Amino acid sequence: MATRYKNLTVTIVAAVLSGSAPLLAGDDPLQAMLNQIREEEQTAGVAAPSSGLASAIQSFNPDISVVIDSMVHGDDARRGIGRILEGTDGFGPVREPGGFDDGFNLREAELFISSVVDPYFRAYTSIVVTEDDAALEEVVVQTTGLPYGLQLKGGKFLSEFSRSNSQHPHDWDFVDRPLVSGLIFGDGGLVEKGVQLSWLAPTPFHLLLGTEALQGENENMFGHLGRDDSGGTLTDHSGPRLWLQWIKIAPPLWGGHEAQFGLFHGYGRHQDEWDDGINDGWFDGHSRFLGTDFVYKYDAPHAYGKGDVTVQGEYMYRGKDLTLEASQSSPGLVGNSRVDQQDGLYLQGAYGFAPRWRAGLRWDYVGLTNRSRLPDRTTQRFDETHRLSAMIDFSPTEFSRLRLQVNRGEYFVDGEREEVYQVFFQALFTLGAHGAHKF
Amino acid sequence: MNIRSTTSLILTAAMLSTAQALAGPLIIVTTTSDLKSITESIAGDRATVSAICEGTRDAHYLQARPSFIMMARDADLWIRAGMELEIGWEPMILDGARNPDIRVGGPRHLDASEKVLKLDVPTQRLSRALGDVHPSGNPHYWTDPLNGRIVAETIAERLIRVDAAGAETYRANLAAFQKALDERMFGADLVQRFGGSTLWARQLQGTLDSFLGENGASEMLGGWVARMRPLKGRRIVTYHKNWTYFVNRFGLEVAIELEPKPGIPPSPAHLSRVVDLMREQGINTILIAPIYPPRAANRVAADVRAKVLVRAHSVGGLPAASDYLSLIDEIVNDLAETL
Repeated sequence: MATRYKNLTVTIVAAVLSGSAPLLAGDDPLQAMLNQIREEEQTAGVAAPSSGLASAIQSFNPDISVVIDSMVHGDDARRGIGRILEGTDGFGPVREPGGFDDGFNLREAELFISSVVDPYFRAYTSIVVTEDDAALEEVVVQTTGLPYGLQLKGGKFLSEFSRSNSQHPHDWDFVDRPLVSGLIFGDGGLVEKGVQLSWLAPTPFHLLLGTEALQGENENMFGHLGRDDSGGTLTDHSGPRLWLQWIKIAPPLWGGHEAQFGLFHGYGRHQDEWDDGINDGWFDGHSRFLGTDFVYKYDAPHAYGKGDVTVQGEYMYRGKDLTLEASQSSPGLVGNSRVDQQDGLYLQGAYGFAPRWRAGLRWDYVGLTNRSRLPDRTTQRFDETHRLSAMIDFSPTEFSRLRLQVNRGEYFVDGEREEVYQVFFQALFTLGAHGAHKF
Repeated sequence: MNIRSTTSLILTAAMLSTAQALAGPLIIVTTTSDLKSITESIAGDRATVSAICEGTRDAHYLQARPSFIMMARDADLWIRAGMELEIGWEPMILDGARNPDIRVGGPRHLDASEKVLKLDVPTQRLSRALGDVHPSGNPHYWTDPLNGRIVAETIAERLIRVDAAGAETYRANLAAFQKALDERMFGADLVQRFGGSTLWARQLQGTLDSFLGENGASEMLGGWVARMRPLKGRRIVTYHKNWTYFVNRFGLEVAIELEPKPGIPPSPAHLSRVVDLMREQGINTILIAPIYPPRAANRVAADVRAKVLVRAHSVGGLPAASDYLSLIDEIVNDLAETL
């Protein structure tokens, strides 16, 4: 450094002689020196491809990351956990209920690409690649410049009605999805094409209101079969067929504490097939879900997540009100209705008991309300299913995480109680861009 | 919610935000407490300044909490440290705030690292195997008082552009802040005789001593430079690479960090390497910021009979570091007394 700037001595002396220079001008001795250093840095930047100009050019590339999510899983269910989830009393038949093979599982590799489009839009896409398949899970364009706290978002996206639904699986505190949302929407959650308008209110506390108009293609809750998929029996309904409203409130708290409460409601059309082994037919009608969720977080003043606490819970109710439009097996029942009413909740917490280590507990309870009124005007009542999960995870860095989890569930399938233990060892790795974490 | 009530809500919101823009001081939000302190010195009464990351927190790891989004929503000016220091949380805050002007590239978004002198800028392809490394260099630049001086100027320039009516105040406050900083650096006598700018230029060039000698002013040297001069070339151990800039400015050397790699906590194998190195080179000081667990430092210190200095590396990290100048004061005084 000493010899590097010797040639500047003349400049400095000249500047000193000319008296005290103005503060924001370039002709004082320090300024002259800094300008020279910056110039040299810039020249060096052109030569070295990793810095300066080169990195400025690279900054037009979108941020790309890949999350690899794999695990070893074992359960003691006779027919596998997937079959049990699929037939859970009151909720079944659940389409795409999830579930894992005994042994090695490659859950997914998620490719996440995001970038600012221009001064008005930002976009991201998440492509989920499994062993035989690739699916466009999310592709979203959102506004960045709307006034009055408004934001418009469109494309295909995970609905943001609840915290658990808006998170990607690798962001969860446990390996698997909470029972209630998995049984109501299927293992993929509620992910739909549509638009979302949200408004951050000018209140002294955080108040976010959102409404979503979605296509309505979730087979379990908001399915659409139309003429083509129902042998010409059902009518076609044009989209959007599903409407959501939600509200999130975060009261002001002190220190490292933060909490957020949410209320949500969704209502839309639903068409379904009646296929319980005895009856057949086609239903058309509406489904509704509503509920509440909360999250509390404590960000402890220790390094590597020690002492951090997250507590999260959700309650959700769903009702389906359908009319039997056609039936070959029971033509006398056509015109009668079928009403399904189910609900469930979960409560979970995770605690950073040591630097980089967390332990967590989760309690799932579904079917507090659990009844179906069938077209023959009989009402079936079902038992509750519950599950307790415990996990320990270790995150060597922000980019890798290893997790051990045990589930003990008491499920009711066809009126029979089944007790199932599950063990997971999950490994999560993130390659590429550094992601920012949502609250 | 029906359309009429939505419209009236939106109109109310519009009126509220316009009213906010017209009345009262500027609302400035900085990401770190150091930037807050410097901004307060420049803005004076014309702004209220708040920081997202308090000095007791690690700015690498923060969560984009709703209360931070509230702060950003109301901000007239957003100032960040930059160099990817806040990459884990700033994007979510700026995204959630619905305040287009403070987004990256917006007229009210300021990256304070724009003009600072950077260190540890990678010259080869990076890999995460190196730990938590930053592509634009080491982001803890504020521990070099020269960078504090440069940041003050960057902030003043932007404030003049955002709030032209206060230009005179900002210029005067900048001059006062830089004078105070220069006097602490070189001593008041020297600054009065030669001006801070000349002294800094000489310091940067490495010719301060000879310059003072030629002018018969060697005896006049005071401030941090005078206190640190006897320590030139001394080696210390730090926990994280957050003193790199300070050490570089005052001619000390960091022999090794307790972290084997940035962001990776100390392992037993690495700590025994640290112990060996400290014995070998006779190093007797471990400098650690209060945001890091002190256990590893204490264990090593007990092994080699060294002293652990827990010193704030950000304003507010410890009560004594109440503003930017006292932050540097504290480090200088403690090192001068210990080493």
